[in-house]
Amino acid sequence: MRLKIVFTHLAAWIVAALLLATTVAARAETGDMKLEAQLIWATNDKQDPNPKHKPVAPEIQEKLNQLPLKWANYFEVNKLDLDIPKGESRKAKLSDKCEVEIKNLDGTKVEVALLGSGKNDPLWKRTQGLPKGEILVLGGNAPNSTAWLVALKRGK
Amino acid sequence: MNEEQQLKLQAFLDGELPEAEARDVIAVIARDEEAKALHAELKNTRKALKSSDVKLQLPESREFFWSKIEREIQRLEPVKPAVTTVSLFERLRRLLMPLGAMAALVLVGLLTYNQLGLGGLPHSPETDLALAGTDGFTYRDYSAGMTLVWLPFPAENDLAQDGATTTIQ
Repeated sequence: MRLKIVFTHLAAWIVAALLLATTVAARAETGDMKLEAQLIWATNDKQDPNPKHKPVAPEIQEKLNQLPLKWANYFEVNKLDLDIPKGESRKAKLSDKCEVEIKNLDGTKVEVALLGSGKNDPLWKRTQGLPKGEILVLGGNAPNSTAWLVALKRGK
Repeated sequence: MNEEQQLKLQAFLDGELPEAEARDVIAVIARDEEAKALHAELKNTRKALKSSDVKLQLPESREFFWSKIEREIQRLEPVKPAVTTVSLFERLRRLLMPLGAMAALVLVGLLTYNQLGLGGLPHSPETDLALAGTDGFTYRDYSAGMTLVWLPFPAENDLAQDGATTTIQ
C-alpha cells in the first residue's frame, strides 16, 4: 500500500514535470527570431585604418574563412541585435550608407531587403530559410580590392 | 373414419368431450365397426399404460424438495462484484496518467522537431526577389550553415564611399 502511494506521487510529479516542459517548449516555439546583424569590411590588410573598427569575433572569422572569399581579415564596422516577432519586420541601420530590413515571415523564413541611403526602394530583396544558428552573408566589392559584408546570424 | 373423428374418439376416452359430443361419439362407436375397433384398441393401450406407470414417491416433503432447487439456483447465480469506492486522488491519477503519456509524446515530438531542425527549411530552394540589375550569385554551404549572396554593387554605389577606409562607414 505504501509502495503504491509512493508510485502514485511519483507519477503525479512526472506528469506535472512533463506538462511544464511541454508548456516551456511550446512557448519557445513562438516563432520569434533573434538576429545579429553585422556590417563587416573585408580586406587583406592586417590593420584597419579606422581605430573604431575591431576584428570580427573568432566564430564569425572562422565561418567567413569557410566561404570562397579572397580576403584574410574581416573588421567589424557595426553590429546590432534584433528581436523580430513572427510576422513583423525590423530595420537595422548599420551605417549611413547601409541599412537592411528583415521580416520574420513564419519563424523559419526571412525576407531580407538591402536598402541604400535615403531610398525606400530596396537595392536587393530575397526570401529564404534561416534556421537557428545559420548565417546569411550579403557582400559586394569595394574600392582597393576590399569588400563590404552584411552578416545576419540567427541566434540559437 | 377421418382424422377428426379419430381425435374425437381419443378425447372421448380421456373424458374431455362435452356431453352432447360424447353422445355422438358413443353412437358412432355403436354403428361403425372401425370406430368400435379403434375405441377398443385405444382403451387397451390406455389400460396397459396405466398398469405400467411407476409411482414415484419423493423421499422428502414437497416444500423441502423445492427449497433445495431454489438454493441450488441461488448458488449457481454469478456473484456480483463488490462495489468499491474510488478516491478522488485515484480518479485524478487515472486521468493524469494518459495525459502525462500524451504530454511526454508531445514533448518528444517538439524536441525532435527542434533538434532535427524540421522547423526550418534549411535546404529549401531560395526564392529570389532580386530587382532588375541586381544579378549576383549565391553560394550555399549546408555543412557550415551559411549562405553567401554576392551582389554586383560597385564601390560607387550607395553602400560605398570613396576611399578604402571609408568604403562602408
